[in-house]
Amino acid sequence: MDKKMSVMVVDDEEIVRESFFHWFQKYGHMVETASSGFEALEKLEKNPFQVMFVDIKMPGMDGIELLEKVKQEYPDTIVIIITAYGSIESAVKAMRIGASDYLLKPFKTDQLSLVMERISQQEKLVSEYKYLKGRLEKITRFENIIGQSAAIERVFSIIPEVAQSNSSILLVGETGTGKELVAKAIHAKSHRCHLPFIPINCGSIPDSLLESELFGHQKGAFTGATHARKGFLEVVSGGTLFLDEVGEISPKMQVDLLRVLEEKKITSIGSREPVDIDFRLISATRQDLERGIADGTFREDFYYRINVIKIEIPPLRDRKEDIPILLEHFIEKYSHETTSQIDRATPKALEFLKQYDWPGNVRELENAVERAVVLSKSRTLGAEDFSFLQSPTPALSSPLSLRDMEKRYIQQLLEENQWNVSKTAKVLEINRVTLHKMINRYKLERPAETK
Amino acid sequence: MSLTPRLGKRGHFSKVFKGIIVDYMDQEERLIGVVPVGEVPEIALKVIAAHISGYFNLDPQVLAPLVSPDYAFDQRRMQYDAGIILKTLESMTFSDFEKVVAVLNLDLFVPIFAHVFGEARQGGKFALVSLYRLGKNPEDLSSPSPLMYERAAKVALHELGHLFNLYHCERQRCLMHFSGGLESLDQTPLNLCRYCSADYKYYLSR
Repeated sequence: MDKKMSVMVVDDEEIVRESFFHWFQKYGHMVETASSGFEALEKLEKNPFQVMFVDIKMPGMDGIELLEKVKQEYPDTIVIIITAYGSIESAVKAMRIGASDYLLKPFKTDQLSLVMERISQQEKLVSEYKYLKGRLEKITRFENIIGQSAAIERVFSIIPEVAQSNSSILLVGETGTGKELVAKAIHAKSHRCHLPFIPINCGSIPDSLLESELFGHQKGAFTGATHARKGFLEVVSGGTLFLDEVGEISPKMQVDLLRVLEEKKITSIGSREPVDIDFRLISATRQDLERGIADGTFREDFYYRINVIKIEIPPLRDRKEDIPILLEHFIEKYSHETTSQIDRATPKALEFLKQYDWPGNVRELENAVERAVVLSKSRTLGAEDFSFLQSPTPALSSPLSLRDMEKRYIQQLLEENQWNVSKTAKVLEINRVTLHKMINRYKLERPAETK
Repeated sequence: MSLTPRLGKRGHFSKVFKGIIVDYMDQEERLIGVVPVGEVPEIALKVIAAHISGYFNLDPQVLAPLVSPDYAFDQRRMQYDAGIILKTLESMTFSDFEKVVAVLNLDLFVPIFAHVFGEARQGGKFALVSLYRLGKNPEDLSSPSPLMYERAAKVALHELGHLFNLYHCERQRCLMHFSGGLESLDQTPLNLCRYCSADYKYYLSR
């Protein structure tokens, strides 16, 4: 027992309290004593204790009553009941209420040692569990959704609210906005967090296969079904099912799923026995499902069933103020994952990224940063490291003159070639001198970091 | 092992146990009283004193016996309350001694425990050692064990360790490892592990 613990001994007899006190002191544990249940509760309010040794027979509040109160208010505190010979029944009752163990007075010294040994191991397991759970939460929780903008803050605030309910959720957002991350965050915040989170991309699985994936099948249900297999709807058992690209589901499958959502039962392919199921459904789409309803490709009743709560996830272009923080996060992530040592991006690079429209949203930004980190030869990412991205396209919104168009194109090519005039001239199939003249004419300036 | 030397002369015992003891030779003399309470075999006192000298490198002196502690006898349990005996000892003056180990041949208990081999307060001045249960053979309780004196010395050193503020140690190969029964006591070594040894050295250097 190498871990020092905080222990409280509650007994109305002073000599018992003293005996315990001196004993625990020899282990270096922090020991506190209380002569009554009331005193114990008062002391607990000031300081939490890991372990309590509670005498069952005490005037005023007895050990059982104290145990009930402690378990109610401080469920993590381990309570050991001390009892005299002949009061086994109360000890059994105490164990039912939540006592971890009991000791019959007087006990052998090694019995107490054994109890403390068990507690120590239990504490170790609990702390390991909490640590791992914390790490898991960190992986699946808000930490992975990055942003400070008002648009993403609205999503953050809604997650804990909806997580506690069982209602179906529809996440609507463009590709790459982080719909699955939001779904995982909702799952992690819900009471189902210790149960499975199963994501299925409906768009990538053919309809017939999707049916077997979701509902499972019996052996011999169809050619190739060499053994029975449970479907995800059954495997998820109590957890969260995340249907991505729900707009891709065929009308037939929509009917089947609608029935499942209404009846909370499934019948696997080739079976006649319905099985009770319990799961929380989170669906996601990048399509306009209402248009699908109008077109007749999406069932209205299924739409309303999956769309009890709708969360819209903003595209990156609507939260460009999050780009710096996202950029910093991805640079750190990929600097760790790859051998490249990148510290930061230049202000020009950031400005360039802010101007970009990001049709692929955060995923596109992540991929762009990964590529830039891998290919960059310097410790800072400059605008030229992102030259593979399509330039902002203001030309579409406001027509450009031929002169402006030429100026922009030359500027872009120069940046792509790190202001190497010879290379750029070669691409433009003009003379180097001509290019120099054009640079002067258009007053193009070489960025400081490429000089 | 020779047990004939004069007690209280540390130099002699440190030769007997040479090679086992850690070197605390440069410290000042620390007197430890070994006091029999009631009738106690003299050989047990000598062995305990020899071990205190040899293993802890302290200067033990066997003192005149104290009367049997009838005041601590519990009629219901037919045992002697170790806490009461310690309190009585604490009220007596042993001003020449830094720590005192009282040796008894009586069955000791602490209210929560069925019995104890020894008792001491963490960082206190007095320790108790009971020979009463140490002579038993764990395999066959009716036959006496030749290990009694070694066990008595072990309990005395362990309790003395508590007086020097050493805590119970989780390492099995350490004198300060807790042993609740004779079997585990027999497996416990007479030496401190290096961590407890360092703590002991630190305590003495303060």
